[in-house]
Amino acid sequence: MSESSEINGRQRELFIRKSTRVAASYLKRAKALSEMPDAAKPFFDVLENTYVKLADIQKPEDMKSIGTLCVMVPAELVYAAGAMPVRLCSGSYTAYSIGDDYIPRDACPLVKAVMGFGKIKALPAFDNCSLLVAPVTCDCKKKLAGVIDSVKDTIPLHIPPLKKDDADTEVFLKELYRLIPLLEKETGKQVTAKSLAEGINMVGNAQYEMSEFLKYRRHDPALMSGTQVMSVMNAYSYMPVNMWAKQMHRLNEELKLRLGQGHFVSRKNQPRILVTGSPIAFPNIKVPLLIEEMGGVLAADETCMGERGLYDPVSVIDASFDGMMRSLASRYTKPCTCPVFVDNSQRIYRIKQMIKDNKIQGVIYHVLRGCLVYDYEYQLMEDAMGKMDIPIIRVESDYNEEDVEQLRIRIEAFIELIKLKELKKEA
Amino acid sequence: MEKYYLGLDGGSTYLKAALMKDKKVVGTVVYPTGIDNNGVAKKIVAALCKKYGISRTDIGYIMATGYSRKILEVADDDISEITAHAYGVRVTAPQGYRPGMVIDIGGQDSKIIYLDANYNVKNFTMNDKCAAGTGKFMEVIAQILETTIDQVGPLSLESTAPCDINSTCVVFAQSEVISLVARKVDRRDILAGMHLSMAKRIIKMMKKSEKGGDILMTGGGALNTGIHRAFEEEMLKDVYVAKYPQFNGAVGAALIASERGGI
Repeated sequence: MSESSEINGRQRELFIRKSTRVAASYLKRAKALSEMPDAAKPFFDVLENTYVKLADIQKPEDMKSIGTLCVMVPAELVYAAGAMPVRLCSGSYTAYSIGDDYIPRDACPLVKAVMGFGKIKALPAFDNCSLLVAPVTCDCKKKLAGVIDSVKDTIPLHIPPLKKDDADTEVFLKELYRLIPLLEKETGKQVTAKSLAEGINMVGNAQYEMSEFLKYRRHDPALMSGTQVMSVMNAYSYMPVNMWAKQMHRLNEELKLRLGQGHFVSRKNQPRILVTGSPIAFPNIKVPLLIEEMGGVLAADETCMGERGLYDPVSVIDASFDGMMRSLASRYTKPCTCPVFVDNSQRIYRIKQMIKDNKIQGVIYHVLRGCLVYDYEYQLMEDAMGKMDIPIIRVESDYNEEDVEQLRIRIEAFIELIKLKELKKEA
Repeated sequence: MEKYYLGLDGGSTYLKAALMKDKKVVGTVVYPTGIDNNGVAKKIVAALCKKYGISRTDIGYIMATGYSRKILEVADDDISEITAHAYGVRVTAPQGYRPGMVIDIGGQDSKIIYLDANYNVKNFTMNDKCAAGTGKFMEVIAQILETTIDQVGPLSLESTAPCDINSTCVVFAQSEVISLVARKVDRRDILAGMHLSMAKRIIKMMKKSEKGGDILMTGGGALNTGIHRAFEEEMLKDVYVAKYPQFNGAVGAALIASERGGI
């Protein structure tokens, strides 16, 4: 590698100055949207600790961090090996510009941000991961797994491109078995039937709280801003799962109270919007922010940093070790609505269901530049929405703030479109 | 007495105003935007009141649109350009035509808006942060060819052999045009080539799945007969130009104000 592409101390200093400021300003904007529940604050503190104060994750001292990407690395297995999975998919604009030097121009900004953090070594939550488990999903993630190995020991995890047949799940099951000794070597702890069952319980508990939370999230009028909701879900990446679940329980209690008191944060005529598409990872929350700043209610999301990763619990039918492993292999492929799978019609079914459950009036389809797999599915989604008479708009964006005004006008016009449509319906 | 309604369209290059009464356009004015959007807007309101012998209280509602819509203090409310243009064509579409697709060519952006049979917006697409395919592009090229923006259309219609302009960027296209000039290519052919290249670029934004209705051009760019013809030749379809195309956004804003005030 040439001399100029090596990171020096001064560059790291400037990086820290800029990236912490960007993160702080997005946290501030998200908090300012509407009165935040008190119990949501600890989640914001976690994001602040991670991205502004640049502190390591708060967790038991003997618990190692294992980096993960995407939604296919079973958290249960990592916890069973005595470590904590830290999701390293990032939305950092500053890390993206660093990664730009190492990743081809047309690759998506998310992989550039991950590579940027790998190179800059300024984010303890990232740097303290002793290992990275990288599912081989889309082309960008596949090649990232290859190049990031130079800065962080990486285990590529093969994901079957098909998921319908048992044979596909078998392939993934073998991969998970292959992962066990690698994790054990890293943590020095054994994955046993007991620890695996505990892992499944811990994550299941968080998913239970999540399903309770979604009941409050979908309330009309809204009990909490959707951008704040997405921040809470983003904080999952940087919190031990039992702490996240505990705090989530408190948040649910508070939302229940809000519901009882009729404490709402939206009005009746604000369009209810679902956002789906490419990952929305902190601090890249400009699309959710714009939706709500322009008068929409972000009532649901079908994204992998949001509801997708958290809503489906592992169901164990056979409690033997192999039975639990099979349940994991099945949970992390079959219901997964990531567009890397050849046939992903489930995603459309799921979104249709969400539109019904959450009283959605319009869909914003987020495409990160270079994110082909999501763009592929836009046409299918548009056809399906057309049949349901649900307006949909595709917004393409990148990890920078230069396109905010272009995005704003599109999102504003989209919200007006829904308002006028509803007014007509009433008349 | 029926009130007057005023639409203000604060674009990147010009500030346009349309005064309406009984859903008909009473008068229009256009001023260069300059650096003081707000001051220009005030001047426009005063000028219109004077010209039509009305006072500010005769105007029931002022609706702003366009890129400076949020900062015009004289306005009661604002709406996005997309909604404004979609509304405007209810009044500006030539008699007997029902627009299904609106091509708006503004100073700094161009957009395609798809309408259903009741003039409701179905979908829309806009160009990104790039001046290619916008009015600014025409201005830059007109300057190089030592002509004015109102002459580029008529001149290009005289072309018999439009030349190819391949650059997709204004800056590159500019140097491409300069090299064509250096090779003594007839400027009418250059202009015709420029219009075809602009049309091609905008057509790329169109969605093939959206069909039905007439195609209507709006925005200051629609005043250019050359680009109008280029669209017809590239799409192999009839394309119509709205009445007062440059004021379509302002007309739409005034119309929506008269129907329901703010939304």
